Amino acid sequence: MRDGGRPEGRQEMSLADVIAGEPRKAFMLCNEAIVRGALEADVKVYAGYPGSPTSEILDAFHEIGEKMDVRTNISANEKVALETVAGAAMAGLRGLTSMKSVGLNVASDSFFTLGYTGVTAGLVLIVADDPHAHSSQSEQDGRFFGPSAYIPMLEPSDPTDAIQMVKYAFDLSERHGVPVLIRTVTRVNHQSGIVQTGPLNRTPFKKVKWTHEPTRFVTVADSARKFKANMLERTKRIAQEFEASPFNRIDNPGSDTGIITSSAGYNYAVEACRILNTRPSILKLGTTYPLPKKLIFDFIRPLKQVLIVEELSPYLELNVTAIAKEANPQLKIFGKESGHLLEMLEYNANIVSTALAEVIGAKTPLDFEAILKRADALKEGLPVRPPTFCPGCPHRGTLTSMRKALRGIQHVQPTDIGCYSMAPLAPLFYGDTLLSMGASLGVAAGLQYSVEEPVIAMIGDSTFYHAGLPGLANAVNHKCNFKLIILDNSVTAMTGQQPNLGTVPQDDDASVQPLRLEDVLKGMGVTDITIIDAYDVKEAPKKLKEAFTRPGFSVIISRRDCALYGDRIKRKKGQPIVPNQVDKKVCNKYYACIRDFNCPAFDVDEDGQAHISRDICDGCMVCAKLCPVSAIKTTGEPR
Amino acid sequence: MKDEFSVLICGVGGQGLVLVSNVIGNACAASNLRVITGEQHGLSQRSGAVSIHLRIGSDVRSPLIPVGMGDAIVSLEALETLRYIEYLKEGGLVLMNSRVAFPITDTAELVKKKSTKYFGREDVENKLKQVTANIFSVDALELARQAGNPLTENTVLLGAMSVFESFPVPTEALKESIAKTVPQKAKDANLKAFELGAKASHDRFCTLFPCRKI
Repeated sequence: MRDGGRPEGRQEMSLADVIAGEPRKAFMLCNEAIVRGALEADVKVYAGYPGSPTSEILDAFHEIGEKMDVRTNISANEKVALETVAGAAMAGLRGLTSMKSVGLNVASDSFFTLGYTGVTAGLVLIVADDPHAHSSQSEQDGRFFGPSAYIPMLEPSDPTDAIQMVKYAFDLSERHGVPVLIRTVTRVNHQSGIVQTGPLNRTPFKKVKWTHEPTRFVTVADSARKFKANMLERTKRIAQEFEASPFNRIDNPGSDTGIITSSAGYNYAVEACRILNTRPSILKLGTTYPLPKKLIFDFIRPLKQVLIVEELSPYLELNVTAIAKEANPQLKIFGKESGHLLEMLEYNANIVSTALAEVIGAKTPLDFEAILKRADALKEGLPVRPPTFCPGCPHRGTLTSMRKALRGIQHVQPTDIGCYSMAPLAPLFYGDTLLSMGASLGVAAGLQYSVEEPVIAMIGDSTFYHAGLPGLANAVNHKCNFKLIILDNSVTAMTGQQPNLGTVPQDDDASVQPLRLEDVLKGMGVTDITIIDAYDVKEAPKKLKEAFTRPGFSVIISRRDCALYGDRIKRKKGQPIVPNQVDKKVCNKYYACIRDFNCPAFDVDEDGQAHISRDICDGCMVCAKLCPVSAIKTTGEPR
Repeated sequence: MKDEFSVLICGVGGQGLVLVSNVIGNACAASNLRVITGEQHGLSQRSGAVSIHLRIGSDVRSPLIPVGMGDAIVSLEALETLRYIEYLKEGGLVLMNSRVAFPITDTAELVKKKSTKYFGREDVENKLKQVTANIFSVDALELARQAGNPLTENTVLLGAMSVFESFPVPTEALKESIAKTVPQKAKDANLKAFELGAKASHDRFCTLFPCRKI
């Protein structure tokens, strides 16, 4: 196995539970419960591209795939991943893929068509939304993918739901010949809890014989219209099945106040009722496309009022409102339209209990508003602690060199998705546009037509392989006049240092052939390629300046391993990490190591001199190269 | 809500919060306690603010602690304690590492202003006092070093937490969980760190807050 991407702290023990043969009660992250569910369902092929909050699913398969005889593939992007498992499922082997919300945008082209063609064996797609945009570029609500692609959708609320739903999803998928979407949110994926696992009956991996059936998986014109008609019938059958699904249930039936909820919303709703010591009837929906309309109809018919608890868009609310028109026209519906709950940010029990209190005319036991207000006042003066480039991060060196090379030169900088997406934020504010994976290249093509200043696009290696290749081909073909800097740190760093198409395996893994960036660029017709060392802040600026001033399209590769990845390799090989220190006798408080450098290993001591925390300094020596009086030296002692 | 315990564990990326959560979670699983957590994973960059909500009790459903209802905050870094103060109930328990890691963005600001006056631990404690009197701090780094591994600050604080009577997880279960959960080569240092944390906490705080015997 290659060096896995599991962040420190997620240890072998929980994975031992994930792959244990006998059923047991175990503390598991929901993402691990999803993996367990898939293993219990005898999944044969997994493919994915990392993305928070789903990365631990991919990490787990990467680590245990071989052992569990699951063909596992960290794909170029989510579209390739979905197509990989679709190929398996068309042939007759169960496949699973997982992706973050925006990953499904990339995969959606094939996703929509798969709704038409369907599959032979079970195909399950996990898509995880990120209310609050904790680690995403948007709060996109993936639930609309279900109805728009006619693909059934399930929503777990916790790890126990997840394990059961994944197993059911494979079964559902196979019986109806349709891919199944399992939609989660951050607070479901990253929720741990105690689950009861089921038996693990893995069958040996065996190839199947392909049966050629004309237009079975080919949709165009006439066959597309046939598929569409089938798809509508299929959806009706699934709706029928969902009406009786145990994943939809009613807590405390009989009240004239109701709550309709799903996903993380259910957890907050239950807790809100406890806080208010009230017992409304709660309809928890686990199958949210096609919706069990009759169940909802019967649930709301006797109610006086209902509160819809769902994060992000009013998906359930619009449907309930439509059903209520016939079921109960007098029903008072509370939620987003009524202004009781927001259409943005994630919820919590206090938020839902405030809304519920208003609906039932009760008072919350605590004045949550006042507590939050007091907290805000208390936090005045508390410095923010945004994520920053790690000590030893090569991006810090690259950005320093770029700033040196471009001093006094106004330029426009479209950037991309990765750790370097932090550069356009405080405190650097370096970078002008940030759209989606690979977008820096397309945006640069438009900018070079439109702006007077030179255009310098920035992208990481993994993002480049994910969605930058078409943009590059386009730039070469159209003789676009911009520069591209590729930050090559060997791995998909931000999501946990997973290998990408260019990663050189750290052991003798013969199952992959890493792509060489230079070869790819040359093969695509790039003639002007410059390579710099991200740590070389003395020489790199000169090389960059030359490259930036040459006419036409050119590519600069800034190369250095991600520091966390590099450290892990060092630790594995028993190589030391030797931190630096500041010589107090020499430091003249010029602060070249702090201003615009922002390495978290630095602070200042009582004398105002720079100080290095030796427990986190990575010993990259970039700061030492910047110090005009050479006050930074190695401690000589490994960390 | 009786027989429940909600604790917010916070710190700085890279301090091993998830490990603490897993140790407690596994100990709960072994002790028939229901536990759920809301964890923060995802962005792997070090040195950012990180937090985990951990809730024990047969009826808890929300992985996030409702505002004002947390029984305790355990912070692996002093400044971070204040960042989550809205979750702590009035009079709740605060167990904090005395270590401060100043955000580099703050240092950069100070340097610009030619100042060395950080917002520090005393500022944090003064503010916390407006919500609770039960603020206990431990020099976890020093104890971790004594345990033989400076990376065991997280386990020192878990040990320190374990002596408080309101924390419902049995000490033995925690120790067994540590032995099973941490990397094997760090097992002894972690067990030692746990004990040093428990002893320091017991010696200093048992007269101030209900503690169990160790």
